[in-house]
Amino acid sequence: MGSSSIKVRESRDELIGRVRLLSAGMVGSLVLVLFGFWSVQIVSGEQYRDQAENNRLRREPVEALRGLILDRHGRVLVENVASYNLLIQRSRAFDLESSFQFAGEILGRPSETLSGVFDNARPARQFSPVLIAENLSLAEVARFGVNSFEHPEFEIQVRHLRLYRHGPQTAHLLGYLAEVTERELAREQSLFLAGAQVGRRGVEQIYDEMLRGRNGEQVVVVDSRGRLVEEFHKVAAEFGENLTLTLDLDLQQEAVELLDGKVGAVVALDPRNGAILALVSAPSYDPNLFSRRLQQDEWRALVEAPHHPLQNRVVQNTYSPGSIFKIVMATAGLTEGTITHSDQVWCGGASKFYNRRFRCWKRAGHGWVNLKSALKSSCDIYFYNLGQKLGIQRIARYSRLMGLGRKTSVDLAGEKEGLVPDMNWSTRARGTNWYPGETISVAIGQGPLLVTPLQIASMMALVANGGQRVSPHLNAELNHLPTQPAGLSTEALAEIRQALWAVVNERKGTGARARVDGLDIAGKTGTVQVVGQRTWTDSSTLPPEQRDHAWFASFAPVENPELVVVVFVEHGGKGSSAAAPIAQALYAKHLGLGNGNHLSR
Amino acid sequence: MRNTSVSGTGITSLGDTQPALRYLTGVDWGLLVSALLLAAVGLATVHSASSELPVDYLPRQALWLGLGLAALLVASSIDYHTLLDHSSLLYLCGLAGLVLVFFVGHEAGGAQSRLGFGGFSIQPSEFAKLATAIALSRYLGELKQPYLDLRNIAIALAIVSLPVAAVAAEPDLGSAAMFLPMVAGMLLVAGIKWRTLVGAGVVALLLAAGVWSFGMQSYQRQRVITFLSPDSDPLGAGYQVRQSKIAVGSGGLVGQGYMQGTQSQLRFLPARHTDFIFAVLAEEWGFLGVMTVIALYALFLYCAARVALRARNRAGILLVSGLVSLMAFHIVYNTAMVVGLVPITGIPLPFLSYGGSFTLMCFLATGMILGVDLRRYVNR
Repeated sequence: MGSSSIKVRESRDELIGRVRLLSAGMVGSLVLVLFGFWSVQIVSGEQYRDQAENNRLRREPVEALRGLILDRHGRVLVENVASYNLLIQRSRAFDLESSFQFAGEILGRPSETLSGVFDNARPARQFSPVLIAENLSLAEVARFGVNSFEHPEFEIQVRHLRLYRHGPQTAHLLGYLAEVTERELAREQSLFLAGAQVGRRGVEQIYDEMLRGRNGEQVVVVDSRGRLVEEFHKVAAEFGENLTLTLDLDLQQEAVELLDGKVGAVVALDPRNGAILALVSAPSYDPNLFSRRLQQDEWRALVEAPHHPLQNRVVQNTYSPGSIFKIVMATAGLTEGTITHSDQVWCGGASKFYNRRFRCWKRAGHGWVNLKSALKSSCDIYFYNLGQKLGIQRIARYSRLMGLGRKTSVDLAGEKEGLVPDMNWSTRARGTNWYPGETISVAIGQGPLLVTPLQIASMMALVANGGQRVSPHLNAELNHLPTQPAGLSTEALAEIRQALWAVVNERKGTGARARVDGLDIAGKTGTVQVVGQRTWTDSSTLPPEQRDHAWFASFAPVENPELVVVVFVEHGGKGSSAAAPIAQALYAKHLGLGNGNHLSR
Repeated sequence: MRNTSVSGTGITSLGDTQPALRYLTGVDWGLLVSALLLAAVGLATVHSASSELPVDYLPRQALWLGLGLAALLVASSIDYHTLLDHSSLLYLCGLAGLVLVFFVGHEAGGAQSRLGFGGFSIQPSEFAKLATAIALSRYLGELKQPYLDLRNIAIALAIVSLPVAAVAAEPDLGSAAMFLPMVAGMLLVAGIKWRTLVGAGVVALLLAAGVWSFGMQSYQRQRVITFLSPDSDPLGAGYQVRQSKIAVGSGGLVGQGYMQGTQSQLRFLPARHTDFIFAVLAEEWGFLGVMTVIALYALFLYCAARVALRARNRAGILLVSGLVSLMAFHIVYNTAMVVGLVPITGIPLPFLSYGGSFTLMCFLATGMILGVDLRRYVNR
């Protein structure tokens, strides 16, 4: 027993050391584990706490309703309408395949299209809902609602879209909304949310910030499946401000109708303060197309359409002013004292300047003409002579004084400044000296001279109001901006106003077709040659794209003017026959609107 | 060892008169109290972890704890020599349980591994581990030489391989793998030469390569890949590791407070009342709580190792070593997994994780360790 007991003990003792080794291993492992917890909880604790917060809190924007846009009488031009989007919450889907099948049936789309949209979306969070269809009809929304028990994975999101009540009629002045670009997002991250809509073109762009308001934010606690547990924090949305325009919807619609089928522009404004009452560019487009996401081919169709309907011809296109420019010439000549109202010039239908023959538009000539009759019959020879006397530098100076060659700073996006040429411009831009012969062309509004219809309207306002420079604008709050004297002779302008009245109201005036009974309209026609002609040809016999552009610039009543109307018709032919009747109809409409008390004699 | 003969006779004579008193004075209180404290922490944490689950697992876990305590008393009262004498029978019973699940078991987590009794079900593999430990102790305890030779190792591995193969076939690779640390601990204590160890290492590597290529399901391979780079698929397989680390990390030093852990209360944490219960504890009680519980585990393992050190014979030392190795591996692996140090596999945490069979097994093992200690003076 003793010996065996010793033997047992001996073999037992050998194990003791190994048990100690095993224990050391366990202690070592536990220390290692503790070190791991120390590193995660103490060293990186802060970072993991942030991640836990990220897990638990979801930030949801609270959409701020965009401000409405109204006309001068408070009629709504743009409003917000609810639109319904379909979202899918992946974690609640029993079987994505059948979910897409179900949704595809309701929407009448192949389920692969929907799953394709889903696959491309790749949400940032596993449990974020994914947008798979937009602009559902109420019937479709109802069907998803009825089936919400079988298909809890679908959510309907209410978003507000812009509804432009008058579509193409007000497209160019209002603009539209489009999704914010990545660059804008990077620049003003605090203002926008990804996928937010921002104003593009028109007053939607210029007054975007004011109309947009400020989105609120709702921070909610969610569980691991993205279900809302409780509200954590909420910042209410600040709704956008409404914008009241100076626009008169009736006049606008009348102008739209008058330009129907034509390519051109009409602008009507109040010469006393620059308030724009009508602003039409034709052809137009439907801004409501942009409210629901525009398809690639729809966009291409708009951009590639023959007459560029997206262009706002009132401010974005520049044209030769043609005979309208004679108003600037007359103002310059009288203010400078180069001519007086009684100075006479012989018009024989053509005349030689700097060894070149220049034609009057009237082959037979006008005979003896003075300033008034030259304006009334739009005699070219008279103004060739005046141009030669004034020289290009003085012509350019007066053009700029009257607002040409620079932006009117109207509250519309993308305005062009046009071009007033002078010697400086010639050497800088063309690298050649100014040819004196060019001055003769500029004197009747041809040559390199370029203007926008709005510049002509503000120039007419200046003539009408006795030399005060006004800022054309659409925002009614800008009505009280002070006007600035342009530094022109008021007597000269009064004389010109009388001459312009004669253009419309006296016999043989070129603007006779703008005459309205009971209203003293003053105006000037313009006909711009598109193709250079060596002889007296009637452009109405040419193919349409080579016909002359027609201008008519006017105001009324001649004493204390209240309305400026400028009409421009691309390839319309003569200003007297193509543009003046449109102005006539607008004045008649304006009178009919109850404005007659002020306008009529 | 120093005073074996002196106090040994004293206790024996006492035991003849008052068995209850002998139990109370002889039992290792450090081991028993640490186990009970851990179980209490476990109950509280299971309650918190299941507050957002359809049922509160607290009452069920309490029931299992009650059963576990009874099992502990019974296991510690039985002379382990009796267990060793009947090791073949126990071993066969363990195997029979494993075979039975093939025919009448039901599935859980992709493996047919459970036997149902009324509303409860047990996992025979847990009990097979204990039976295997007893059988191995019997065989290795009877050897006399200081180091095992290859034949001894082969026989020992043969004993283990039957239940391991049965569990692996369920298929429950995780549970099958849990036999290995236990066996490794026992073989190590029984004596393995360095060159054998190196050889075994090579064989193990080859085996691992084989298992990787042929024996693992693709989801299991994915878990290992995910462990090696958890950010490669943050919403897929890496989700659990990430959420667990976020839970643990957001606990900081003092924790978010009991029932206040957002990761667990908002259900970001997976398996939070079972395998990831320690993440719940770490989130709600912070590094201080983690240290406290790890200290309790250290105390438990220290006391258990002390029992091995003072056990009367080879078989006793080996039995305790095997059980300690098993428990220690569970503790170390589970906590390391929760903090993202090792790949995720379904290894529960002793005394804390909810689970019937596993809780019972832990208490039975503790009871057997106590039983070995109570018989340290018995000559046989």
